[in-house]
Amino acid sequence: MGEKARALVDDLFRRQSGRLVAALVRLLGPSNLALAEDVVQDALLAAMQAWRFEPPSDPTAWILQTAKHRAIDRLRRQGRGERLAGQAVAEMPTHAFDSALADAEDAANQLAMMFAICDDSLGQETQVTLILRLLCGLSPGEIAGAFLVDTQTIDRRLHRGRARLRERGELTDVTDVAELRARKLAVMQALYLLFNEGFHGSDPESPMHPAMCSEAIRLGELLLSSEATRGADVEALVAMFCLHAARLPARLDAEGAFVPLADQDRARWDRSLIERGLRHLGASAADAELTRWHLEAGVAAEHALAPSFAATNWARIVALYDQLEVRAGSPIVALGRALAIAQLRGNDAGREALLPLASDEKLTRYHPYWAARAEIERRAGRPELACLHYRKAIALCHSEAEQLAYGRRLRAAEQDSSQS
Amino acid sequence: MSTTEMQAHVNKWYAWSDALLAKGHPLQGQPLEDHGRTIRGKDRIITDGPYAETKDLVTGAMAITASSLDEAVELARECPVFELGGSVEVRPVAEHER
Repeated sequence: MGEKARALVDDLFRRQSGRLVAALVRLLGPSNLALAEDVVQDALLAAMQAWRFEPPSDPTAWILQTAKHRAIDRLRRQGRGERLAGQAVAEMPTHAFDSALADAEDAANQLAMMFAICDDSLGQETQVTLILRLLCGLSPGEIAGAFLVDTQTIDRRLHRGRARLRERGELTDVTDVAELRARKLAVMQALYLLFNEGFHGSDPESPMHPAMCSEAIRLGELLLSSEATRGADVEALVAMFCLHAARLPARLDAEGAFVPLADQDRARWDRSLIERGLRHLGASAADAELTRWHLEAGVAAEHALAPSFAATNWARIVALYDQLEVRAGSPIVALGRALAIAQLRGNDAGREALLPLASDEKLTRYHPYWAARAEIERRAGRPELACLHYRKAIALCHSEAEQLAYGRRLRAAEQDSSQS
Repeated sequence: MSTTEMQAHVNKWYAWSDALLAKGHPLQGQPLEDHGRTIRGKDRIITDGPYAETKDLVTGAMAITASSLDEAVELARECPVFELGGSVEVRPVAEHER
């Protein structure tokens, strides 16, 4: 299979699998969740086989048709001897499938399913995990990376969540406004992690998936289009997506290695996305609640508006991080804050903020933490320490793009160290 | 959108957020929903995130200077990524238009 066809299948599958599973589960009920996932998986495998030489002219329609035939097939076989017998299953599903799968093209359907599977009895982490796996097409490994836990933890969570969904006979649309608001946080959290995976996630093949970033923006704007789910917090979330996504065209060099922020060609940042982000940012300035999404959007806006790396308003960024630390503190937030402090107050202040974070177990397995420690030491003229930390970052990172980037930095630090 | 319009959106946001911060807004994290659902404040979810400081600042690559491709290959041979089962690709950097 050619590189191009493989990329097409990967991209299509990620985009379509969530919608297909959503449409099928809606039609067949959550008790048939496993069947829905199976036929979608089958359709992907069939596509990889069938598209070896040339992809069809309409790949989406091809996948939809294949998934449909397989689902009907499975249901007929199942229906023959079991509870569905006598219901003329063989005839019944065809029309139902056509209309359900036509809906699968519709992102509103996918969004409705996100709310529907946020079962009250499940913790928010499990709700978010189910959304990412079933409706956004992330692998258990990618979800584990997003939550900074191991894959087994995610497998257990998915098992528990699936069991709960199976127990529920019917999955109905959530229409109650209070219920929608209560579930909105889990949906926003899932969109945030979908965006994160697209922006710079843990897929070893390719750490950037711009299609996932666009998907997160689209679903976020869809939340804004409905009276019941819109809000200043969603405006802030979408503003942050747009302002970060604007940098995507400048983040990788011709060799596929990450370009550091300081070296990115700002002329290649997507100006229309920055404008879109700023419109959402303006709209987010409402109500009396400054949420973590507002603060993160504020940081993203500072970068998007800075004429150069040197002219970045680090004082404001540190102030926003200080607030973020209070409202939604986490080791990951503390790491970003420490790096901003290093820019504002120098390497010693940065190191002082970074050192205590080494006691956090999650952070010690997070390669950007070691890259941050290395970067501070390199700038401070301690190349031996920088080398030590870069080796840790290399041992922990996931993708070739990261290995390539850290390898080059390590090489430079080693040269410095041999000259000193 | 003109620069002035862009700035207007940002200024509106600055004014709004500064006012909230100056008021000493209570720092309790998420507000309680008005319909009485209990929100478990303690089990704060820790996740990765797309932070520019972390993802764009320190994970980038550096260019190394070598007089020839052969010399670059020699330099790359010493990369400790090999000890960890990794691989290194050596390619000349294309001149970018600026």
